[in-house]
Amino acid sequence: MRRVAVIGVGVTKFGKHERTSGELFAEAAADALADAELPVSAVQALYYGNVVGGETEKQLHTGPQAASLLGIPTVPTTRFETACASSHAAFRHAVMEIAAGISDVVLVGGAERVLSVPTDESTEYFAYASDAAWEQPLGLTFPGVFALVARAHMAKYGTTEAQMAAVAVKNHRHGTLNPKAQFRKEITLETVLGSARVADPLKLYDCCPFSDGGAAVVVVSEEVARRARRPIWVLAAAASSDSMLIHDKRDLSRVPATERAAAAAYRQASLGPQDVDVVELHDCFTIAEIVATEGLGLFEPGTGGIAAEKGWTSLGGRTPVNPSGGLKAKGHPIGATGAAQIAEIVTQLRGEAGPRQVEGARVGLTHTLGGNTATVLVSLFGRE
Amino acid sequence: MSDAPTTIHGFLEGARAGRLTAIRCGKCSAVAIPPKQYCPECGQRAWEPLVLSGKGTIASFTVIRVAPRGHAGEAPYAIAAVQLEEGVSLLGRVVDVPLDSLAVGLPVRFRPVRSRDQTVVGFGPAGTPA
Repeated sequence: MRRVAVIGVGVTKFGKHERTSGELFAEAAADALADAELPVSAVQALYYGNVVGGETEKQLHTGPQAASLLGIPTVPTTRFETACASSHAAFRHAVMEIAAGISDVVLVGGAERVLSVPTDESTEYFAYASDAAWEQPLGLTFPGVFALVARAHMAKYGTTEAQMAAVAVKNHRHGTLNPKAQFRKEITLETVLGSARVADPLKLYDCCPFSDGGAAVVVVSEEVARRARRPIWVLAAAASSDSMLIHDKRDLSRVPATERAAAAAYRQASLGPQDVDVVELHDCFTIAEIVATEGLGLFEPGTGGIAAEKGWTSLGGRTPVNPSGGLKAKGHPIGATGAAQIAEIVTQLRGEAGPRQVEGARVGLTHTLGGNTATVLVSLFGRE
Repeated sequence: MSDAPTTIHGFLEGARAGRLTAIRCGKCSAVAIPPKQYCPECGQRAWEPLVLSGKGTIASFTVIRVAPRGHAGEAPYAIAAVQLEEGVSLLGRVVDVPLDSLAVGLPVRFRPVRSRDQTVVGFGPAGTPA
């Protein structure tokens, strides 16, 4: 298998946009190609994440649409849909294609547009990633899914609402340092704890926002990477899944797909959690960050809430988590999120993250979760 | 095998009529909510029907305050993952339990619940008949 590197990244500002998701992706892709110092004609394939385009934009077949908007209508392209993990799944596909020797330059990314529809409508569309026969008829929402995780974690380990709130406060603080973030305002524990209830015990500030935005990364073979100025190497790209249905999950306080994907990634890279300097993980809800830090082996099961409260996951802490602001503050345009996380880790490992830089970071991890914890991707990245 | 429920529709139709019928593996005795082609525990395909009592305890729960379009008029409403005494779990609406009395470990009992224009899996207080 050939070595694979990322040599270019691009991310739009996250928030509300008046352009289509395809246009948002094309902007991010042009930035990524400029960063890679490659012409668009070098791109041999495009793998693309987009989730609710069929509903919010009445648009399917978004892979060729994105390629056409970018000006490369003839490259092979596929749209990936693994709910919120879509562009991370697209990235893993690109890594395998390059490692196998099929392509040398693959563009990966995604985009989403949801703020053009009302909240109750987007809430319904996101719920399509839960089961149509068993779960949607109950009126289950995505905050509801993670509320079930939160309540189980609280019952088993004594995790508190204040510990969950500490995740939101930390990620908003990090978000103030990221010019692309949707929210760039510090909040307090009281802001979170006093915010409107969404799905008990989760409140508005425990939830990431709905966002529009796009992200792209340029993935290349070692041969191409050797000609690039500052390649960041892909050390692992792993995936795991879990039962689709909540009623088939044995222990709602855990996300076993995270544990399995992390184990596979560490094995591929011959690394362990103690080697990871900086993490971008899937904090769609505050409890999701707590459970992910445990599942990735950064902290013992049941201690993720304590780690957040003690500042161990803050910039300057033991293992900084979500220096970009995470989904919580940076925003969560679902089809773009995996690629945006990779863009942040590449920026960190290059040492180009400015005021949010994790000093001396050599190994970075991205973790993206799809749907009701049924899809997880974990990738590891390193400097030369 | 022939009597084991094999479709989602079959299970939910039974649930609407007040009956919960799970499947038990004839090889390893694992119990599951149907449908499953193969036993997730042993990989065999030798299911037998197993009538569930409907009695269980809340493993986790939430109160939905911001509902999706289509359930908007119903909020707030409670949804719980319930561990049934046979070992399998089911997700359902919880009714006739005050929202502030919900707790992990609370005993509940299955009952079909009307939500909008359909009947869904639900749970009520343990002492009440299905």
